[in-house]
Amino acid sequence: MSNNVIEVKNLVKRYKGTKKLSIDDISFSVKKNEFFAFLGPNGAGKTTTISILTTTLGKTSGEVKIAGLDINKHDRAIRKKIGIIFQKPSLDIQLTAEENIRFHACIYGVFNYMPTFKLMPKAYRDKVMELTKVVGIDSDALFKSVKKLSGGMQRKLEIVRSLIHTPEVLFLDEPTQGLDAESRRSLWKYIDKVRKQLGTTIFLTTHYIDEAENADNVCIINNGKIAACSSPEKLKESLLKQELILDAKNRDGLIAELSSLNLHFTVNKHIIVPYNKSPQKILAQLKTELSVLKIHEPTLEDAYIEFLKKNNKMEA
Amino acid sequence: MNKTSTYRKSDILRELNSIIAVAARDIIIFFKSPGMMIMSIVMPLIMMGMIGGNMMGIPGGESLGEFMLVGMLVSMLLMVTIMGMASLVDDHETDFTQEMLVSPMSRYSLVIGKIIGSTFVAIISMIGTLIIGLVMNIVLSIDQLLLILLLSPLICFVGGAVSMILMGLIKSKKTANFAMMIITMPQMFLSGAIIPINDSNLLLLVLSRIMPMTYCVDLVRGVTGIQPPMFSPLTNFAAIILLTFVCLVIGTVLFARSEKNR
Repeated sequence: MSNNVIEVKNLVKRYKGTKKLSIDDISFSVKKNEFFAFLGPNGAGKTTTISILTTTLGKTSGEVKIAGLDINKHDRAIRKKIGIIFQKPSLDIQLTAEENIRFHACIYGVFNYMPTFKLMPKAYRDKVMELTKVVGIDSDALFKSVKKLSGGMQRKLEIVRSLIHTPEVLFLDEPTQGLDAESRRSLWKYIDKVRKQLGTTIFLTTHYIDEAENADNVCIINNGKIAACSSPEKLKESLLKQELILDAKNRDGLIAELSSLNLHFTVNKHIIVPYNKSPQKILAQLKTELSVLKIHEPTLEDAYIEFLKKNNKMEA
Repeated sequence: MNKTSTYRKSDILRELNSIIAVAARDIIIFFKSPGMMIMSIVMPLIMMGMIGGNMMGIPGGESLGEFMLVGMLVSMLLMVTIMGMASLVDDHETDFTQEMLVSPMSRYSLVIGKIIGSTFVAIISMIGTLIIGLVMNIVLSIDQLLLILLLSPLICFVGGAVSMILMGLIKSKKTANFAMMIITMPQMFLSGAIIPINDSNLLLLVLSRIMPMTYCVDLVRGVTGIQPPMFSPLTNFAAIILLTFVCLVIGTVLFARSEKNR
């Protein structure tokens, strides 16, 4: 039996009245308990993909399975197993924060509806207090009308709401947009805890590339097509070389020494020496006294930008 | 965490719970909106005052008191329910619809919950109509009032079901408000709610027969003994149930499709 919790094969989506495909024959899979990041520029097709996977948008063609269930035949069963934080806020601003959470918990069948927070089961109250503490919603804000909460606080509320039913697969569509650094860190810590304790699969789309650094796998989507799909480490390795940034008071001496060692290098503000495995070997051979020594490790963001450039050139 | 994730109950109970949550949301919003509360009382006052006042002023109009009050009560129940259902368009505009549609609850539970919430508001609005009736010296007996109260969910359900057909086709608040007026106003006049329709021409008669309000008004007047009914209570009841079922199914399918098939 397949260990994949999400399986997408040749997925295509064309919105009504448009000629261009929003999703153009994409395929990928996500394993159980995996942290999967879906990256791409605005309009690349990330939200369209997430909407199809969460059954709120119909596909044009292709095959999608969530937890082994076909999205065409078992959409309601799938909805029981998933949770989502939407890109656009989807709160009822006329209700209080807690009423929004209670509504969600009840339509997911986790708890029976009661007209007040105090009348709700203890398990619900404890869970709400636990989650609100994690994202930093104080009890005052919890019982305030949503329209009186700041944008950041509303985002935190959406996060609490999506976790109240402890889904098997959690879709996060730009979840930390509008959150301060402390709340972002706290949220990721909690999501990591949820993942480890409950085996929740995380499907993330984000603009903060650093949030995808810890992902098990990353897919880069551009113009509706998958540009690359691999682990962050492999993506970085495949495109970018690691570099040593060197300089010396005796720059000419250093350049001569690097040339004599047959090392490739470029000279800009400093001397850039690309390396593949370990910088130790290069450094051990240098005798010129160095005034600058830095090791440049490429980030996932560097790789992401490189992939997009490459992909756009190919499309042009 | 494990405790909540392994929580199980039968699908029927789960759907009932969802229906209660959806209905409760509308009731909470109603009590939090002073404007809505005032309007639900004032609107029947205006309608009854305007139309009723004029009718009572014409020769022989005094005898139409009870006839008109019951007609107005039924009209307001239908109208307020239909307008309450228009909040689905608000939910669409504020993206709250996606929160409901991504949940495992059935689309029928969503719609039934909305109708129950709107029914509550509609029943509250009956108070305004009854107050103006009292002012105009039109008094219904306790038995008659209880019978109307008993039948009001049925009337509201057919109103909510009819409006769902529009909800499946309309996505803007402006259009929704206009459409609500289009489906409620003709019914008020063609169903015999305000004025008798015995002498209508063929076209108006046919139109009146396809309007749910005709059967609602006739049923209520018949069982309260205010006017001999055109149809037997059973026929009226069957027509209302049939219209509710057909409109609910078509409306819910249209609504779900319009959200998903973009």
